Amino acid sequence: MRKISKPRAATSAIALAAMLAAGGASAAELGDVDTPIKLAVLEWTGAQLSTQLAGMVLTKAGYSVEYVPAGSFPQYSGLSDGTLSATIEIWSNNVGDIYPRALEAGDIENIGSLGLETREGWAYPKFMEQICPGLPDWTALQDPACVTALTTTDTLPNGRLLDYPADWGSRSGEIIADNALPLTAIPAGSEGAMLAELRAAEATQSPLLLMFWAPHHVLSEIKVGWVDMPPCTSDDPDDCIQPPEVEKVVWSGFKDKWPAGYEILKQFQVMSPDQERMMAAVLEKGDSLEDVAAGWIAENQDVWQPWLDAALD
Amino acid sequence: MMSRLRLSGTALWSLALFVCLALVLLAPLLPWIAAFPRDLQLPLADWANLVLNPVFSTLQPLGRGFASGIDIPLRWLRDFLLFVPWPAFAFLLFLVALRMAGPGFAVFAMVTQIYIVAVGYWPQTMNTFAIVLLSLPPAILIGFALGAAGHRWPRLEGPLTALLDLMQTFPAFAYLIPLLIVFGFGPAAGMIASVIFAIPPMARNTIVGLREVPVVTLEAAVMSGATPTQLFWTAKLPAAARQLLVGVNQTTMASLSMVIIVAIIGGFNDIGWEVLSAMRSAELGRSLLAGVVIVALAVTLDRITRALATGSPNGVQLLPDRALAAVLGVVLCLAVVLRLALPGLDLLPPGVGFATAKALDAQLLDFVRWSDPVFSALRDALNYGVILPLRIGFAASASPMVWGFTLQPWMIAVYCIAIAGTALLLFRRPAWALLALFAGLVCYTGLAQFPWPCVVIIALLGAAQVRGLGLVAVVLIATLMILLSGMWQPFVQSLYLTAIAVSICVVIGGMIGIAAAENDRVSRIVRPISDTLQTLPQFVFLIPALMLFRVGEFTALIAIVLYAIVPPIRYVEHGLRGVPGHLTEAAVQMGANRWQLLRDVKLPLAGPAIRLGINQTIMYAISMLVIAALVGTRDLGQQVYVALGNANSGLGFVSGLSIALLAIIADRMLRKS
Repeated sequence: MRKISKPRAATSAIALAAMLAAGGASAAELGDVDTPIKLAVLEWTGAQLSTQLAGMVLTKAGYSVEYVPAGSFPQYSGLSDGTLSATIEIWSNNVGDIYPRALEAGDIENIGSLGLETREGWAYPKFMEQICPGLPDWTALQDPACVTALTTTDTLPNGRLLDYPADWGSRSGEIIADNALPLTAIPAGSEGAMLAELRAAEATQSPLLLMFWAPHHVLSEIKVGWVDMPPCTSDDPDDCIQPPEVEKVVWSGFKDKWPAGYEILKQFQVMSPDQERMMAAVLEKGDSLEDVAAGWIAENQDVWQPWLDAALD
Repeated sequence: MMSRLRLSGTALWSLALFVCLALVLLAPLLPWIAAFPRDLQLPLADWANLVLNPVFSTLQPLGRGFASGIDIPLRWLRDFLLFVPWPAFAFLLFLVALRMAGPGFAVFAMVTQIYIVAVGYWPQTMNTFAIVLLSLPPAILIGFALGAAGHRWPRLEGPLTALLDLMQTFPAFAYLIPLLIVFGFGPAAGMIASVIFAIPPMARNTIVGLREVPVVTLEAAVMSGATPTQLFWTAKLPAAARQLLVGVNQTTMASLSMVIIVAIIGGFNDIGWEVLSAMRSAELGRSLLAGVVIVALAVTLDRITRALATGSPNGVQLLPDRALAAVLGVVLCLAVVLRLALPGLDLLPPGVGFATAKALDAQLLDFVRWSDPVFSALRDALNYGVILPLRIGFAASASPMVWGFTLQPWMIAVYCIAIAGTALLLFRRPAWALLALFAGLVCYTGLAQFPWPCVVIIALLGAAQVRGLGLVAVVLIATLMILLSGMWQPFVQSLYLTAIAVSICVVIGGMIGIAAAENDRVSRIVRPISDTLQTLPQFVFLIPALMLFRVGEFTALIAIVLYAIVPPIRYVEHGLRGVPGHLTEAAVQMGANRWQLLRDVKLPLAGPAIRLGINQTIMYAISMLVIAALVGTRDLGQQVYVALGNANSGLGFVSGLSIALLAIIADRMLRKS
């Protein structure tokens, strides 16, 4: 990875010291308003909405914003050299090792949580409660009848747990082993494969147990139940189910180039109910992303105005 | 001499069979036979990283400069295409299409433009078009230069062919990380991947074209005193022009097929991006609407560039070409002036894509619900009856869990007798008998458990027999690399997915090809379907296949078959239709009926074309391995994704190279010298 040359590092350190002395999130310069801030737009609607909202708030502050579609792995290459300025919705559950490595290399900066209330765990379509009567308690998955219902040729004689794709990294295998559950984790290959399975299972009422997360747009279409997971016995928290972090990440040069923008993005938050409502409008009613986001901006000035005020005044 | 050679071949293969039988029997006792010992594995991927990463870092300044150089014309071209109002663009295309390929195609081109606007994908389509247009000149020029060099210095041709094979078979996903390191994030990196993939057809056609220039032409030129340079530019090149234009056509198609790869990197709001995000949210409707745009683009570019190669026999010339060019220029200028005068005028109506896509999704789910009894039975039958037994073998399948009964010694005896009996029946054809015995052995252990030394022995022996020492060396390197890097299991998985898919494609595709060759109406129906299957992004197939067959190898198999079935259909039909009329007439006069005519005359004569078709089927199937991994396989394709997710260029390199070598070896084995 190329090291970014930072001619302004010294001045920014002084600025930072001055800012700290003034206390808290205090006024910051707008910085380079002529160069557009490039926000990465990822493949899923939730991230597209969050990005659009962040972009609109930055525009209110006087920045120009460019929205750049980016693959969720390739974006790190763009973020580490400033080709992309920021990405708004990084989920810790689907990034593999590439994100921690890029953080370690120091070319990108994690500026905190987006504020979404997330959850993760083993989910099932609601009708599964008839097939495995003990659900949502995890011990229901030890019941032979339940296991048989979940069995496929890939997992004989165990039941199948449809797991995250292999390139995301997953903890289900360890949890199954730690609790001696008669299940086998089968990686789904892609998010599309997980959704296709879930939709098909709901349509045909066929048994399915899968590792999943919320908020997700499919959950407004299909009601799922969540397994009460077994207590985690591992010492390593990475081996346990935990709500995924959703973080905002900027290019390491962002703060120097757009100081006020940096402060705004740091405070920028999206609430889960808001995001779910907006996703439904985009995916089910077919409203355009821009219109839905503009609607939120128009109705929630009391939410975003303080971010601007704190950064600019 | 011939018979002695064949005899010694048979003897060698029999020996190999006995060795394999012994290994299968010994496998339970000697663990190193069943699985390659872990202690002997080497961290090849880490070593590759150690070597490659400094190389990539060194290339970085050069690559970044290059990428920003490409970005500027790309932006201009894109902005210009979006600036021209779409009716003007469609009208220009209509005129060009009419001149190049006739009124039927011109109407088709017009209808597809209206479709693209109606579903609301005009801007995305123009972005994609800009990338394809810009990646063509470098691909064509480099391909031509490589081909000309291969022709000029025959000693280069061997290494050049190997390089071209690698460029075409090395999965682009596997070098995405290096591309990003060297060229940075943005459409330039994707464009370079697309150029790499699109060079080989041009280079190959250049070599063929230059080689096949008639000797008479050359002699005439030499006698009139041409220097070697003049000979090349004034005699060879014009004579090879047709073949070069075939190269241009195939390079265009190859570049278009990389649209999705370009989109995976991102940086550009193009039509491939739309297909990808639709796949991510498993929306068939949206991915189909966007996929059809790519098909339309492909068919349009194919017909226009093919007309270049054939001299537009169907074209309608309303005006002399020079006047037509002037008209095109005037229309373009008017459009630009109009847009300058009225900047807000893009004439794009709100798309109706959303409602259509939703309706398609709902219909797919209705179909899944309605057909579930059939498909769940089919799924079980195929999984328990074919897929699982092939993987774990007869011995393991005959268990209460799978087939509902326990394996008894007499069953093994019956199995052995059946296999031996089949071989005995075939004793007049030793090769077939041996094949039956090997197949029996593999079906007994299952492909996943078949001892690895046997696979290596069979591959080496096959390579030695078909091509000699050169290929033996390649096989040796490939198997060593796969074994040492610990990728034997994913490799076997890839091998058997490919083998089953190719068998299905050859049988079903071959039958469709025969039907199409015998019946014009069938041919007319099949052709657009083949075109669509070949140009529709493969991602579109994955969603319905997943819903009907669920995550796993069988779905991967369906996706591979849908894509790889096109070459056997095409080549069988082409081969059969190419049989000279006087030969079939002679056979008919000797009293051959239709079946005899097909079996004894047409199929043998179409042999070379059919073999080429099988070869292409294998290439297509292997190229689908990476995409099929999205439905959850455990093959080399999956390793490529894991490498991508971990930013591990070394792992990507090793798994990508394994896939490429598998393809190259399969190709060489089939293409008898």
